[in-house]
Amino acid sequence: MKPLDPKLLRFARPARGYVVLVALLGATTATLVVAQALLLAACLAPVVSGGVGLADIEEPLRLLAIVVVLRAVVTTVQERYGHRAAARVVDDQREQVVARAAALGPRWAAGGRGMDTVTLVTRGLGDLEPYLVRYLPQLLLAVTVTPATLIVIAGLDWISAVVAAVTIPLVPIFMILVGQLTRSSSERRLVAMQRLGAQVLDLLAGLPTLRAFGRERGPAARVRELGEAYTRTTMRTLRVAFLSGMVLELLTTLSVALVAVGIGMRLVHGDLGLETGLAVLVLAPEVYLPLRQVGAQFHASVDGIAAAQAAFDVLEEEAPQAGRTLAPDLRSAEIRFESVGVAAPGRSLLAPVALSVRLPPGTVLALTGRSGAGKTTAVLALLGLVPPTTGRITVGGQDLADLDPRTWWDQVAWLPQRTTLPPGTLRDALGVVDGSSDDDPALVAALRSTGLDEVLDTLPEGLDTRVGHGGLGLSVGQRQRVALTAALLSPRQLVVLDEPTAHLDTLSEQHVLRSVEALRADGRTVLVVAHRPSLVAVADQVVVVTSAPLPTGPVPARPAVSPSTEARA
Amino acid sequence: MRRDPLWRAVAMLGVEWRKVALAVALGVLALGSAVALAAVSAWLVARASQMPPVLTLSVATVGVRTFGISRGVFRYLERLASHTVALHGMATLRTEIYSRLAVGRPESVAALRRGDLLARVGADVDAVGDVVVRGLLPAAVALVVSAGSVGLLAAFHGGAAVVLAACLVLAGVLAPWLAAVGARTTESRTSEARAEMAAVSLEIVEHSALLTVSGRLTERLDALRAADSRLTRATDRGARTSGLAAGLGTLAVGLAVLGALVVAVPAVGAGTLDPVELAVVVLTPLAVFEATLVLPGAAIQVQRSRRAARRILALLDDAAPRTGHPLTGQPEAPSRTAHDGLPGGTDGDTDGVLVDARGLACGWPGRRPVLTGLDLTLTPGRSVALVGASGTGKTTTLLTLAGLLPPVGGTLRPDGTAVHDATDAARTAVVTTEDAHVFDTTVLENLRVARGDVTDDEARDALRRAGLGAWLDALPDGLLTQLGSDATTISGGERRRLLAARALCSDAPVLLLDEPTEHLDPQTADTLLRDLLRLGDDPERPRAVVVATHRTAPLVAADEVLVLAHGEVAARGTHDSLLVTHAAYREGIAAEDGGPTAPEETQ
Repeated sequence: MKPLDPKLLRFARPARGYVVLVALLGATTATLVVAQALLLAACLAPVVSGGVGLADIEEPLRLLAIVVVLRAVVTTVQERYGHRAAARVVDDQREQVVARAAALGPRWAAGGRGMDTVTLVTRGLGDLEPYLVRYLPQLLLAVTVTPATLIVIAGLDWISAVVAAVTIPLVPIFMILVGQLTRSSSERRLVAMQRLGAQVLDLLAGLPTLRAFGRERGPAARVRELGEAYTRTTMRTLRVAFLSGMVLELLTTLSVALVAVGIGMRLVHGDLGLETGLAVLVLAPEVYLPLRQVGAQFHASVDGIAAAQAAFDVLEEEAPQAGRTLAPDLRSAEIRFESVGVAAPGRSLLAPVALSVRLPPGTVLALTGRSGAGKTTAVLALLGLVPPTTGRITVGGQDLADLDPRTWWDQVAWLPQRTTLPPGTLRDALGVVDGSSDDDPALVAALRSTGLDEVLDTLPEGLDTRVGHGGLGLSVGQRQRVALTAALLSPRQLVVLDEPTAHLDTLSEQHVLRSVEALRADGRTVLVVAHRPSLVAVADQVVVVTSAPLPTGPVPARPAVSPSTEARA
Repeated sequence: MRRDPLWRAVAMLGVEWRKVALAVALGVLALGSAVALAAVSAWLVARASQMPPVLTLSVATVGVRTFGISRGVFRYLERLASHTVALHGMATLRTEIYSRLAVGRPESVAALRRGDLLARVGADVDAVGDVVVRGLLPAAVALVVSAGSVGLLAAFHGGAAVVLAACLVLAGVLAPWLAAVGARTTESRTSEARAEMAAVSLEIVEHSALLTVSGRLTERLDALRAADSRLTRATDRGARTSGLAAGLGTLAVGLAVLGALVVAVPAVGAGTLDPVELAVVVLTPLAVFEATLVLPGAAIQVQRSRRAARRILALLDDAAPRTGHPLTGQPEAPSRTAHDGLPGGTDGDTDGVLVDARGLACGWPGRRPVLTGLDLTLTPGRSVALVGASGTGKTTTLLTLAGLLPPVGGTLRPDGTAVHDATDAARTAVVTTEDAHVFDTTVLENLRVARGDVTDDEARDALRRAGLGAWLDALPDGLLTQLGSDATTISGGERRRLLAARALCSDAPVLLLDEPTEHLDPQTADTLLRDLLRLGDDPERPRAVVVATHRTAPLVAADEVLVLAHGEVAARGTHDSLLVTHAAYREGIAAEDGGPTAPEETQ
């Protein structure tokens, strides 16, 4: 772990200019600090030793006033631009991480990694701000002010300079030592924080379920336990991190004290002038101040660096290479699964296994099979979101992996198994263009097909009803109807329905059947994952998806196509 | 004072004020050491220049060394003390929030967007806890140390003390006030943008696949970028004033030194101030301002914490029940507790009636009721099926019967008492909804949601009965296998059966099941449904079962079937009688049975 990781400059463009600015301000500060000490001594010494009046020290006093004003200006500029730069860096990292997480796809995000990423971008990255605003400037002051003041002291009084020079190397030594000690615990803390965030959120998300079982009270103890565990972990880190602060503070204040006593002794013996003595006395703490600040901000910096590291880990994750070839027009191109198998994550299972099927344009294909057989995974593979472990999917003879995903997805409307509506109104969720009439025949027909019109009748605000995250107040079945209507309204050639009737009853299932028929009549291609015999019945072909343990030998072959092509009676 | 949201929230931290006082005392000792070090070493150097006998300096040299050590030690102890207070407070507040939401109105709890919740419970609790370490404590320490330093200077020279006091006001009052004013005008923007940013981030990561395919990803990333730049703009506006405040702080230090020189130098000439004391008067202020330099940050922290506190309290107040008992600080005292064992049918005068609904109207608050005029009496051993088109209010009815939604009209008597106490009803009647949550923990713990003491054998048995035997055998760690957040790692059918298994584990006298068999192939579905409907017949533990379903074929196992349509009970009776009397019911069965069966894999 480096105090200033070059990766930060590589991954976070906005950080570069800021580092330059901070370095310039650091050099200016160094000059002003030295000037202030010398001028202060020049003002004070003649009065203490000679009892002169204000008029005699007018010149240094005026210069001192100028230095005071300039220091205030530098502080203002540093604070002003530090926050802005930090906010930009955090935003930049967040956008990059979120975009990469989205590009890495559903399989990557599963298993808690998605939630961890959310915690990272919403909370963890915030730790970069104290790192950039507080720690980094002090770090640069430590390499400007500290040497500058030390050189000036050496010119004034070499003995004090030696005292300071001896203690200064101890500071980074202790810092490295303490850094080694805190690193692992800080990384643990970030992990603990992410776990805590995810678990408390999980409990809150499940609160309605817990209430349904009348067991909502018990987990309060769990929340408390998680909090106490967090406290313990954090305090363990802090005890060590603050220890570093203490050692540094002890070392630096003690050596300032030693310098002061040393000056005093040499003054008593007349080995040193008062003005020099006072200048060294004022400068001595300034040698250590940046180092002390670096130490004080150290644990903040460790959190910031750990958060940045977590972000780099996501950013360094290679997103799957997207193809470049324009996807063939699905109105004429045939889709083929060629012996497709996908390894299930964390299980030694291929689900689906050896799936082979042809999907000519304008036909309806039903995928059936036991739950867990890999029907949804087959859909994800078709969408190009999960790469096949074995076999391949082709479109018009071209491997799906070679196709430009955008040109492919633009032709696909997908209704996933567990639908979540986008935030906004029902109108937004349906993808109805603003300004288009609610009496639009296509809209009315689609609403009637899916039976969403019946749902709308119960909503006072109709299409303007706001549906929250998860579609508040709409039952799962109603949500499904919304998503289905949206799929029907879209002009996309291939419609993929993952168990569209799952939440619809037998009677309104007729709506879905009618919709599928309408799609076929429209010349569109439909892939539907289905259990229901009625839905299977409208399919042109039906294929059973199966799973199998990961083969140690040859994969068993299955009949390629349509065991029940005659199903449409 | 008690109306201030910050103090209400701070009260919920359950802070021990004795520990806070200790932290303040340690902080004062630490900073006091720094001031003393500056004062004594200034005296030492100035006095030494007069070349007195060395012995006269020995007390000062010992003092300098002592203060050089004590400062670091006290500071370390103070930081530990203050952080312990804050972290314990945050844990207490988190628990408090959970506890209050747990008994709050379910619809407002469900209404929260999850990204928003994350921001609230995480960041807001931290912000409230931070007020102790970064707000209140530095302010108290600065006040004590400033007063002491002004007092010290006053002992030497009144004018210098006044100058120091004025500059301390500049750095310790004006600068923080300025910072706070800036923060107040921009914080609201920041936190709204932050909540928006969190919600959008969550949405993108959680639904990346859907967004990618539907082409909405770019639009959502733009929304994130927009929220981010609002965040940056708000931060930038705050930075303008906080920059000014920081500059003012630095300026105040310089002015204090300059001012001390201007007022005290003539005093030396006039003979009212000893030259050695002049050094003390001029150089001590350099150390004092360390106390005030953190105060602009502290003032901003107070603002930030107050906003966070306001959001937390708004969340809690919104979730607080509108009627009945208001939320108290201790939500742990329900009128009648019945933890695991339930008093089902123990009251002789109610003839074992578990749930009794008369003319019940069900609906979400603020919406039209979806069902009216429901009469339903549930006794142990009775099984009832609700069928009807989607949107006819089956789920809403189950939630109302479970006591999770208040009845819109009519009477509902859970367990024979006319109390609309949601919590107690939930203990008599448990409901498994379609979108019930699968927790980010082990399979076993997910089943224990139904009952805390489910044994391994009971868990295995329940999973087998729900048709998950083979699935369980394939799991790497069996019952102890971790399921991902909201079951993203298992299939829809597996999830549904897991929920059914969870319901099987419950020992509540009334089981309400919403669509327990969706995502299952027809044979499995029918078997499971029949199993569930017969669940109440166990002579050792007779209970009532209500199932909302689409599949009508297995309903021959139900004692009564209610057909819901057009907001009311359109027909009711046994499966066989409905086949005769109700045309739509008959057609539904025909559609189910008439279609050819998909070839299902046996095994």
